[in-house]
Amino acid sequence: MPLHNLGYRSWDGHRTPQWSRWWIIANSGITLAFKSRWVRRLMFFAWLPVLYWGIAFFILEQTLSRGFQGQLPTTQILEENVPELELAQQQAINAIAADRIRDQFAFVPSADKLAEAIESGDDVQIRNKVWNWLLMTFFRYPQATLILFLVGFIAPGLISRDVRSRAFLLYFSRPIGRLEYIIGKLLIPGMYIVAVTTLPALVLYLFAIGLSPNLNVIYATWDIPFRIVLASVFLVVPTAALALMFSSLTHESRFASFAWFAVWALGHGAWFAILISQAIREETAPFDPIVLESQIVQGWSVLSLYNNLGDIQSWVFGFSDLKDAWPGIVALITITVVSLCILFHRVSAPIRV
Amino acid sequence: MTTSLISLDNIVKDYRSLRALDGVNLEIEPGITGLLGPNGAGKSTLIKVLLGLVRVNGGSGTVLGHQLGREGRAIRNKVGYMPEDDCYIPGMTGVEVVQFSACLAGLPPVEALRRSHEMLDFCGMQQERYRTIETFSTGMRQKAKFAAAIVHDPEFLIFDEPTAGLDPEERESLLNRIVILCRQAGKSVIISTHILPDVQAICDHVLILSNGQIRLSQSLEVLNRPSAPTIAVKTFGDHEAFVRTLANEGTTTTIENEILSINGDSPNLVDQIWRVANSTNTTIQSIQPAQNSLEEIFMQTVQEASHAPS
Repeated sequence: MPLHNLGYRSWDGHRTPQWSRWWIIANSGITLAFKSRWVRRLMFFAWLPVLYWGIAFFILEQTLSRGFQGQLPTTQILEENVPELELAQQQAINAIAADRIRDQFAFVPSADKLAEAIESGDDVQIRNKVWNWLLMTFFRYPQATLILFLVGFIAPGLISRDVRSRAFLLYFSRPIGRLEYIIGKLLIPGMYIVAVTTLPALVLYLFAIGLSPNLNVIYATWDIPFRIVLASVFLVVPTAALALMFSSLTHESRFASFAWFAVWALGHGAWFAILISQAIREETAPFDPIVLESQIVQGWSVLSLYNNLGDIQSWVFGFSDLKDAWPGIVALITITVVSLCILFHRVSAPIRV
Repeated sequence: MTTSLISLDNIVKDYRSLRALDGVNLEIEPGITGLLGPNGAGKSTLIKVLLGLVRVNGGSGTVLGHQLGREGRAIRNKVGYMPEDDCYIPGMTGVEVVQFSACLAGLPPVEALRRSHEMLDFCGMQQERYRTIETFSTGMRQKAKFAAAIVHDPEFLIFDEPTAGLDPEERESLLNRIVILCRQAGKSVIISTHILPDVQAICDHVLILSNGQIRLSQSLEVLNRPSAPTIAVKTFGDHEAFVRTLANEGTTTTIENEILSINGDSPNLVDQIWRVANSTNTTIQSIQPAQNSLEEIFMQTVQEASHAPS
């Protein structure tokens, strides 16, 4: 029995503003998803790469602040007597570093561009370029893969379960419109993506600032947080819209999951098959620059969501030109618009009948 | 003079080639209104129209002073709806579902939680409110849905089959709650149901919908009233002499299920019955004004509708 049953009483408090209702939907979905043990595990794994990238930033900052002078005992004496030597030595060191990057990170896209920047830049430019490069690889490799699993785990049930359990009546019999519902639902995978990409990337940036010799570094790297946010937008909007669109098409969340993973795997698989066939034609390795830069391989690259996101991230972090990224941008905008149109249509379907 | 809470004028709703609502004209006044109709009559569509969830193909109307079609949100702000089907968010507990409903209607989260507990107490839900809603029995789900419908203190309530699947005790409790909401809290209610005794028990007004048209809209009091004064009498033992004597005095009596329905022109029909019972040594077990059967009225209305030209 309740301790003090008050019966029915009227309520005449102030209501929250209409525009904030989407947050109620998002907040409840985020909380509900976090109840899943698997989601918590995935979140834990998604934050592990931060450790590795943190170490990378630490080593980088140690190298940049000390320089290589310590390895050459005569450097200081020579510098005092021959002023031009400092510049020459810096250029030589940069050239060595650039060569090492070309050798050891040949498999990483844009590594050659990073090497070029190091060869021709000063400390300020190098720091900016290397930080950007580290964050781009952070977005592109560990986080893109983890996002695939995280979104594939959370998003497929968001609308399909509402349709199956008829929970849409719970939403739409309240003063909630389609737009608030869709924004609220989009924010659920969106916030998880932000939590495993934007947030750790910003933490890494602040960590790197903390390791820097002085606060002038902020002046040299002020653009990086904006690049992180822009890269996150390109990551969140199409992926969340696509995943929700699949969820709205079925009552069974497993079908939506299957469609989500299939689109990623088949798209990338198709592009990879083209890459292999081109490599066979060229009689060389698949990731040889000759193959990667061939018109056929680049033309079909839009088939892969992963490549599109990668191309855009390269552009956002300043490692490629807009002309290289625009096919990916067009592909993602198309995916987003089509997904949202289908989503709007499907969300109102259960009410209309 | 009473003002209409709901006023519909020639509402038409088509689902492709199927006409679900065919020129519905309706005025609903404060109180409890029973919405009756056979399956497929258009009850659910009418409710969706009232909630502003579907666009009508013709006609106009107002709900609580708000225009249909244009002010759907304003309507849903003031209306509480308990759907017939189970509707829940898997993984949420009972109290979370009610709190979520309250938040969607605009209650601040802490206030929503406080009021959710208050409404669940009102609905008689105990500690099971902390279980996930998938594990609830039908009765518990009905209570949770009921609490979710009233948690934001709406002016107007729509209950779709509220007593479906409830045992007799729970059914009576739920009907009592509806009566409390109406008589004490001043809410107006529409109950869509197939269970005619529920309507008979608590409703003030009855609507019968068939083939997408309102076939009957009348207060229950008027509906129950026979065309001529009739008294229902139940007696102990033999009533042959009693009936014969009454017939000799100009009354007509019909007997159904041991209940005598005595119809007469005398303004003192009750006194006449007592006098005849005394003279024929008949013991009267109960005596009350006879009522028309809602079931008969419903069947008759629906049958007339099915024969009416569409």
